[in-house]
Amino acid sequence: MLAFSVFGVDWVFLKPFIVLGLAFGGVYALSGVGLVVLYRATGVVNIAFGAIGAAGALIAYYIVSHTSWPHWIAYTICVLFGGVVNLAYGLVFGPAFARRDPLVKMMGTLGLALILLGLMAWRAPIGGAFARFLPLPSSGHLYEIWGTNVSLTQIIAIALAFVLTAAISAFLRFTKLGTAMRALANDREITATLGVPVRRVEAAAWFGSGIVCGAAGLLLPDLLTSLDYAALTFLVISSLAAALIGRLQSLWMTLFGGLAIGLAQAVLAPYESVSRYRAAAPFVLAILALLWMSRHRSVTMPQTKTT
Amino acid sequence: MRSKTVSAGIALAASAVLALVLATWAVGASRAPAQVPVGSGKASAKKSVCGLGTGKKATGRPIKLGAINMLIPGVDFTTISKVAAAYFQCVNDNGGIKGRPIQYIQYAEALNPAQEAALARKLIQGDKVVGVVGNTSFAECGTNWKYYKSKGFTVIGAGVQAECFGTPSIVESNMGPRYSNIGAAQALIRAGVKKIAVASPDTISAYADGGVVKLGAARGVSVKVFPTHLPVTDASSQLLQMYQFAGEGNGILLDFTPDTAPAFMTAAISMGIVGKIKWGSSTPIANTFMAGQFPQFDGHLWINSEFGLLDASQGPDTRLMIAILKKYAPKIAPQAFGQMGFMDAKFATAALLNVKGAVTAASYNKAVRGLKNIKTDMLCKPWYVGNLPYHIPNNTDITVDYKDGKVVKKESCFDIAAVDKELAQTRVWEKKLKLNTG
Repeated sequence: MLAFSVFGVDWVFLKPFIVLGLAFGGVYALSGVGLVVLYRATGVVNIAFGAIGAAGALIAYYIVSHTSWPHWIAYTICVLFGGVVNLAYGLVFGPAFARRDPLVKMMGTLGLALILLGLMAWRAPIGGAFARFLPLPSSGHLYEIWGTNVSLTQIIAIALAFVLTAAISAFLRFTKLGTAMRALANDREITATLGVPVRRVEAAAWFGSGIVCGAAGLLLPDLLTSLDYAALTFLVISSLAAALIGRLQSLWMTLFGGLAIGLAQAVLAPYESVSRYRAAAPFVLAILALLWMSRHRSVTMPQTKTT
Repeated sequence: MRSKTVSAGIALAASAVLALVLATWAVGASRAPAQVPVGSGKASAKKSVCGLGTGKKATGRPIKLGAINMLIPGVDFTTISKVAAAYFQCVNDNGGIKGRPIQYIQYAEALNPAQEAALARKLIQGDKVVGVVGNTSFAECGTNWKYYKSKGFTVIGAGVQAECFGTPSIVESNMGPRYSNIGAAQALIRAGVKKIAVASPDTISAYADGGVVKLGAARGVSVKVFPTHLPVTDASSQLLQMYQFAGEGNGILLDFTPDTAPAFMTAAISMGIVGKIKWGSSTPIANTFMAGQFPQFDGHLWINSEFGLLDASQGPDTRLMIAILKKYAPKIAPQAFGQMGFMDAKFATAALLNVKGAVTAASYNKAVRGLKNIKTDMLCKPWYVGNLPYHIPNNTDITVDYKDGKVVKKESCFDIAAVDKELAQTRVWEKKLKLNTG
């Protein structure tokens, strides 16, 4: 019943690619939501997100493969690492960059990304006879849904994106801290004069978004089936594009943006004529979304007064 | 007086006891099994040794050999020269080359032709090596074979691209991905597949997968090639495409090193398609580490192995390699790259020991070209060089599989299908010149 063809595209043929795309999209959305929350509270676009997630995953890999510790400790450390590094950066550099342009703030996080990449290249150089990979126990659980195999990791990636987006939306709307974060996003100075503990609220945003980053860093190596820290670091591009689709404001638009990017990249894969261009999907979708959202805006030019 | 006598007696008794204890300890020590240096002793059909096998360190003026290995994200060939270095260390600890140790200089390159050309010149003109041994790269053969020829060098290595098996100045211990892929495809076809999806790194895909395409055309099997960019970042998507082309019950042939193959194998497990496909592979994943990591593939693999099993019972060379790795390179697990490095170093050592008179670049490389009928349990047939316009001395293989964390034989030695005229010609030379039939 589900097998139908539109424009010569076979649904049965595409189903597994759609599952893959939604899973990747879920992680992009997860990271994108983390980026948006941080931006709204601090005005910082954190492009070190990928590097922080990759470093956490690498630490988890070493614990799993070189110690006899229970694996859940490694996974917890991976997630916490994201929170702690993000928080540390926010506490040390946040105040210094607070009054600077958004571009300068973003460049600061680029520095963090480069430092982490350097550390990873130093401590875990590329090479060695065998690849690094960090499979999660959930990848061993397979379910057949609508005639295609779906792993538990893929389900978690998709579900976590939705659950977290809903939870953060509710948090920002209904809690005191969330209201303070939204107020900070509107005007930092006025919020401070109203007695909101700005530093503490910002620290919560840094830590919370870092935890999301750590979770994405844990899920991605399993979905990618390899722990290539360079590839993980640059997957921030897709998350950034998702955040742009949400105009760095809307969590739900970021979620759907991330899912759309993941879907586009995966569904284009089997078509050889366009497959090689699918890496451009995040940019194309972000540009299209921005153009669409600004379609009713008109460009205004300052008028010269004549006497 | 009496007390002096007593004292002297006590001293004498104590000395006697001490002497007895020392004597007992000395006798005990001499009865304890002496530590036999790795690779020492007399070579025989049942025992391989390192070089002369004297057990004494070589102390003379070093003989310089060198190597260039590729190291890029997703592929690490430096393991080959690291194992060759371990073998040479063993030779140096066993008398060296008539008392002279081997100094082995290893360079890594990043798939950069300019760097490859510069390093070859640095080795030969700068470092003044007498021979080049253990090279492996996706592109170095093509870059440097003419230079090596102009200098009278015959490089012993482990090859990947066409020029490694199609030029006079290079000879390889392995057969490379093209012939290994053909061997794996032969095994898959024997297992009954009608379609094969084959993937290699995009930089070598045209050469490495071209033989499988020819074989498929000759045997009526549909073949589709999936060139793969490294490092692979979307193994799941690509594997899905390959699975959808091949279909259930048919073959997927992966031609990747242990740096990249796990991404595809893990993806196959995640997708639940391991048992639905017959999995072919070229040699590099034929090792116990991979077998231990992927028990889900037990019984589902048709890996073409260019070399014998990595089991001590295989024979004296395999036993020696395992012992050498344990002593000189404990971080390197026994693997196909280890076999390549071991054989490259063994063949180079044989050539050095065959040199009459002074060891120079000319005399060593002449000795290399004179090698034939070199027996090793790591290959189905003896290895050779000879004065030939090109060399494919390793062209008979086995098929292996994983079982309970080990690599096990699935098919005994068989000839790689001569879909290339060069391989057919090679077999004519082998018979006519008695290169591997002695």
